[in-house]
Amino acid sequence: MSDAALIPRPRRGVGLRQGALGLALVLPPLLVLAFLVAVPAVTAVIETLTPEGGGGLTFANYARVLAVRTLRADIAFTVGITLLSVAVVFALSYPLALYLRFSRGGAARVLGVLFVVPLFVPVVIASFAMITFLVNHGFVSTMLYQAGVRAFPRLVYNGTGIMLTQVWVNIPFAVLILGAGLQAIDDALIDGARDVGAGPVRTFLSIILPLNAVPTMIALTLLFIGVFGSFTIPYLVGGNAPAMLGVTMTNYLTQYLQRAEAVTIAVLAFVIASVVGAVYVASVSRRERGAM
Amino acid sequence: MRGLVPVLLALAVAVVLVPTSMPRSAGAAGEVTLNVYINGDTNILDLWSKSILPTFTKHYPQYRANMVGLMHGNGGQGVLDKLIAAKRAGRTTDVDLWETEPSMVEQGIPEGLWVKLSDKLVPNIAKVAAEKIAATGGYSAPYRGSSVIIGYNSAFVKNPPKTFDDLVAWIKANPGKFTYCDPNTGGSGQAFVSAAIYKFVNPDKFAGNAYDPKEETAWEPAWKLLHDLQPAVYNNGFHPNGNVAVLQLLGQQNIYVAPVWSDMGLDFYKRGLVPKTVKYEQITPPLFGGDSTVTLPSFSAHLEGALTLLNWLLTPEAQALVIRDVSGYPGVDWKYMPDSVRKQFADVAKPYAPLPNAKYLADIKRLWHDRVAAGQ
Repeated sequence: MSDAALIPRPRRGVGLRQGALGLALVLPPLLVLAFLVAVPAVTAVIETLTPEGGGGLTFANYARVLAVRTLRADIAFTVGITLLSVAVVFALSYPLALYLRFSRGGAARVLGVLFVVPLFVPVVIASFAMITFLVNHGFVSTMLYQAGVRAFPRLVYNGTGIMLTQVWVNIPFAVLILGAGLQAIDDALIDGARDVGAGPVRTFLSIILPLNAVPTMIALTLLFIGVFGSFTIPYLVGGNAPAMLGVTMTNYLTQYLQRAEAVTIAVLAFVIASVVGAVYVASVSRRERGAM
Repeated sequence: MRGLVPVLLALAVAVVLVPTSMPRSAGAAGEVTLNVYINGDTNILDLWSKSILPTFTKHYPQYRANMVGLMHGNGGQGVLDKLIAAKRAGRTTDVDLWETEPSMVEQGIPEGLWVKLSDKLVPNIAKVAAEKIAATGGYSAPYRGSSVIIGYNSAFVKNPPKTFDDLVAWIKANPGKFTYCDPNTGGSGQAFVSAAIYKFVNPDKFAGNAYDPKEETAWEPAWKLLHDLQPAVYNNGFHPNGNVAVLQLLGQQNIYVAPVWSDMGLDFYKRGLVPKTVKYEQITPPLFGGDSTVTLPSFSAHLEGALTLLNWLLTPEAQALVIRDVSGYPGVDWKYMPDSVRKQFADVAKPYAPLPNAKYLADIKRLWHDRVAAGQ
C-alpha cells in the first residue's frame, strides 16, 4: 500500500481505481501463498513445538528426531549430496555459459539449442534413463568392459547416482540464469579491459565474475533449494539408506505412520533451506538497490 | 489408465441408457442392472469387466452388470461415505457388490451396512473355509487370494531351500544371488522380513488388532539375522523398489532366488518375462499372504441379484476365471477345483502366515530401515 505514495499525484478517483485493480490482481497469488504455504507452515511449526496433550512449549519432538542415528545420517547425507551436486553443476555450467556468451558461429548455436534439452525431459524419465545408462549391465559398464575395465564402481542406487542425475537435470537451468547475467555485461567493459592489456583470465576474474556475482548467487541458492528438496530423483536413483530428506519424510508419513516425526523433519529441512533462502533474498535486494 | 477408459465409457453408457431402458425392461423381462464396485489394479478390473461379469450375464440373462472401477482403491472412502449417508437416510443404495479392503468393511459394521453372509443366503459359502469367513466377521467372502512364495531359477539352484533356515543358509553360501524388495515398496519384501521376525515370535500375536510397541523388543534377533545377511544380498545389500523390480532381477538372471507374490510370479512366468527354468515353492514356515474379498450392502436395491452374483462367483467355473486371468488362489477350498488346476498350483498353494496388523507393519518397515538398511 505504500506504493500509493510513489505514484506521482494522480487524480483521486483514478488512483483509487488503479489501487483496487492492483490489489485485485495480486490478491489471488497472495491468498494462495497465505493459505497453502504460510498457514500450513506456521501450523506445522506450532505443532512440532506443542507437547502431546497441548499447552506449553517443548523441543521433545526435535530431541526425539535428532536422537535417531539414521535421521542424523539422512540430514548429513542430504546436505552433502546437495552441496556436491551444486558444486558440480556450477563447475560445468559456468564455462558453458561463458562459451555461449562469447562464441559466435555454428558450434555455439548448436550447443545453445542442445543444452536446454534436459529442461524438456520429465524428471521421472530422466531418472529411469540414468538408471538404464549407469546400472550394472548398462551402457557405461558395457563400454568400460569393452575397454578392458573389469572393476566397475556402483553408479546408481547410491549418492553417486543421485548426484549424477541432479547434474544432468540442473545444468540447463544453471546455464540459463548465468547466461542471462553474462548477457547483461556490456561488451565495452570487456573490450576496455582487453585494450589495457588484460588476458582472458584477468578479464574473467576482475570484470566478468564480479559483475555476474548477483546472478551467480541466485543460481547457487536456487540450485541448492531445488536439489535439497527433491523427491523423485532420490526416490528412484537413490539407495535404501542413507536417504535424502524428501524420501525420508514421505516414508515417515505414509509408511511408518509417524506424522509428528515427519512434520518435525519437514521443519528441520525448512530451517536449513531458509538459511540459503536468506542468501537469495539478500542477493536479489542487492541487485535491486544496484539497479536504482 | 487402460482400464479406466472402458469404465468411464460404461458409466457414460449406463447414465444414458438407464432412464430409457429401465421401464421397458422392467416390464418385459424384469432385467436388472447390478452395479459392481471393484477396487484393484488394471488386471483385477479387467478380470471383472472382461471375464467374470460377461460370463455371469450370459448365465443369468435377466441381469446386466455395470462395473465401477476404483483404481488402486481411489475413491473407496467416498463409496463408504455414500453408503453410510444412504443408510442413515433410510434409502436404498446403487452399490450392489463391493470389493474393498478390510478397513473399509470394518468401518461399516457399526453402521449395519453389510449383509451377514451364510450358506442359507449364499449356498456356495459352504465351499469356502469357515475360518476365512469368520475372519471377516461373516461380512465378506474371499473370492481370490495370493501369498508370497519363493521363486528360484532351477538352472542354477538344484536343491531349492525348503525351510526358512535353509533359505538363510543358501543366501550366505551364494552371496549376491538373492534379494528382497525394500519393505516400504512391496509386500514381497515385507513378507521376507516378517518371516525373519516370525522365526522368533508367535505370528498370531502381531496379526490381531492389539498393538503394544513394547512387544517389539522380541524382534531384536530378527534384526540381527537380517543385518548379518546384508553382505550376502545382491549388490552388497541392495533392495530394489517394488515387487516388480525383484521379479525383473530374477528374469535377467542377476539373482537366482527371491520372495515374490504368487499371482505376479505365475503371471510373469506365463508371459515369458522370467526364464522357463524359474520355479516357485512355498517354504516352511510359510511367508505371509491374504485374500481379497467382496462385501454386499444389506440395503442395496438389487440385493437378490447381488446374492445371485456372489453365489455364482464362488462356483468352480467363476473361480477358474480368477486362476486363468490373474493366477490367483481360489476363494473356495482347493478340493472343489479341477485336478489340473490343483496340480499347477501344487508347489505354491500351501497355507500362509498371517499379515502383521497395520501398526506393527509400519514399525517393521521403520525398524528395518534403521536396523538393517542403515546398519545400526
